[in-house]
Amino acid sequence: MKTPLIDRRDFLRAAGIGFAAAIAPPAWAATLAADAVFATAFVKRDGSFGAAVLSEAGKVLHAIDLPDRGHDVTFDPVSKRSVVFARQPGTFAVIFDHAGRDAPQTIASITGRHFFGHGVFSPDGALLYATENDFDNAAGVIGIYDARAKFSRIGEFPTYGMGPHELLLPGDGRTIAVANGGIETHPDYGRAELNIATMKPSYVLIDRVTGDLIEKHELPAALHQLSIRHMDTDPSGTVWFGCQYRGTGTDRPLLVGRAARGKELQLIDMPPDILSGFRNYIGSVAANPDAGTVAVSSPEGNSLVVIDAASGRVVSSSTLVEVCGLAPDGSGFMATTGAGEIIEGSGATRSEPDYVWDNHMLRIEQV
Amino acid sequence: MLKRSALVLVLPLALLGVFPASAAVKASDIIQRAIDGFVRPAYASLHQHAEILTKAMHKLCEAPSQGGLGAARAEFSATVDAWSSAEIIGFGPIKDNNRLERMLYWPDRKSLGLKQVQAALSAKDPTATDPAQLTGKSIAMQGLGALEFVLYGDGADTLTGKDDPYRCAYGAAVAGNIESMAKDVNEAWNKPDGFAAIWANPGPQNPLYRDGNEAVTELVGVFINELEMVRDVRLKGFLGGKPEADKPKQAIYWRSQNTTTSLAGNLAGIDALFQASKLGDALPSDARWMAESIHIQLVNGVATAKSVQGPIDKVLADPALREKLEHFTLITSSLSTLIGTRLTAEFGLTAGFSSLDGD
Repeated sequence: MKTPLIDRRDFLRAAGIGFAAAIAPPAWAATLAADAVFATAFVKRDGSFGAAVLSEAGKVLHAIDLPDRGHDVTFDPVSKRSVVFARQPGTFAVIFDHAGRDAPQTIASITGRHFFGHGVFSPDGALLYATENDFDNAAGVIGIYDARAKFSRIGEFPTYGMGPHELLLPGDGRTIAVANGGIETHPDYGRAELNIATMKPSYVLIDRVTGDLIEKHELPAALHQLSIRHMDTDPSGTVWFGCQYRGTGTDRPLLVGRAARGKELQLIDMPPDILSGFRNYIGSVAANPDAGTVAVSSPEGNSLVVIDAASGRVVSSSTLVEVCGLAPDGSGFMATTGAGEIIEGSGATRSEPDYVWDNHMLRIEQV
Repeated sequence: MLKRSALVLVLPLALLGVFPASAAVKASDIIQRAIDGFVRPAYASLHQHAEILTKAMHKLCEAPSQGGLGAARAEFSATVDAWSSAEIIGFGPIKDNNRLERMLYWPDRKSLGLKQVQAALSAKDPTATDPAQLTGKSIAMQGLGALEFVLYGDGADTLTGKDDPYRCAYGAAVAGNIESMAKDVNEAWNKPDGFAAIWANPGPQNPLYRDGNEAVTELVGVFINELEMVRDVRLKGFLGGKPEADKPKQAIYWRSQNTTTSLAGNLAGIDALFQASKLGDALPSDARWMAESIHIQLVNGVATAKSVQGPIDKVLADPALREKLEHFTLITSSLSTLIGTRLTAEFGLTAGFSSLDGD
């Protein structure tokens, strides 16, 4: 835990350092020639923070500096820009061009808000939406940024819950799905979780044009300490979500579920050995539309499990120390670990021991 | 993800003189020593203090007096001290039934607990004076924060007379509830097939700890997370970057002037746990200095916190005392680096290891 909310002017000054460093031309060429690249935040062993672009072979093509720890990356195929968000309760987001054509741009959250680490662009690339904390009111909001006007913040709407984490645009491009983790935090107390006894996570659908609530789903009362955190969409439009449990350690609640519009949330039954291998913590969820599978990772339990999206059955399970980052790769998934490993979908492994890969990874198609 | 990395199942033992290089410290031994040498005594002590506190409250209610109030307050402070040591073990039985939050609802940023306690006092809600019924009420009304308000908050002076028996009865019920939770947790840790057996016997069939790495990781996590909690949540919650940013009323136990007692108790608990587990014995000889250094710094931290006495707003207004709190912050930061980076590196853990790291 670093300084919870640093002075914005100091931050923006500090953020300028190193960001202007352009990548070497050979790396550019390699980036542009690649079929797809992967983007992820990292911490280096020397303690510095950044975001990297990896080739399909897991090679670091390009990296930018970050002033503090980042979390997830989102991408706009229209402008071909990516955004890496600060990890909660961070106050910055950095917009960067993974091919290194433009210098990165840093934006800061407004007073009274901090980022939760996830965001998404509108399909036309005009707007960027980010999950944020209205911490004095303990309320989740989605901050709206105008991507065509230097990412100025033009508004916000509620997430109808507390502690929103990942958000998605499944299906029609107008409906935003938000996982409200249900956990109250306040930057005065770092990352301490303030309402474990009374937490109430939810999954909501919001109209991104009007900000209206379309649907809100909660888990049964007995599972009120099951924090819904990460999501991805399968080819049928069903949203798969992964949870983290804050109750008694020896409890073994189901941790992976799916949400279809108009239906109640459904938790997926799993064999006991698979479930206990998660140690009540799913760190990332990724769908592979081509393969019809969904992968979930647990850095706590050192496990990566692939599920058949149609049947909900476990297809495979593997042990990988501190695995968390996941992205579709061929018929499998590329995965990254806190030990610096990058495991391709084919199984080939590359090690970058200088890097501790952060929780998430994004696949960027080079269209 | 910065968390857990593999701590070898059998920790390498330092080369000690004539001992062979292959000698090893078993993870289960480290955990068993932590349980027997720290966890059980810490929760037993909490239970004992909570019992005495409940008796003191009942005595006060039967015969309200200045002396009785003083005695109850002294037992409250002793219980806070015992809890501050025990609370570093924030997993296992204390997590069942929200006991952790019921024992200490803090931080109470929106004064929820205060409002509910005041409402109960003003409405003289009879169900709040029964420890059994109190357990079903808001968590903010059940624990140390609520009792602190009863004993030290506005209107506490009425406890010396017979005009407001309700306040004392409610306080006695809170003390009884604290005692009953402490008793349950103490018993749970002492059950032969309870949580202690789960933690000390890692294995493939174990529901929580499938190998020694996971069991020892839980222990090392206590040191790292609690140091972070003491510094970033408890201390920085009221100690601002500059005096203008100080928030004395956000300090834990500010009403009873137990803020620094609690900070000292947390560090004393960490030191006692570190010593009892003998985790330092698993370090190679050229890194053995770390164990000694950790102990010295923890002792230093406890002494620094204890040297800061008095109402926390006065402490913060006194540059010399405030500086001691800043020094305490530095000690905890240095300990975080020593344990979180250097010690964990010796055991092959990643640098940013912390269970508060999850997202």
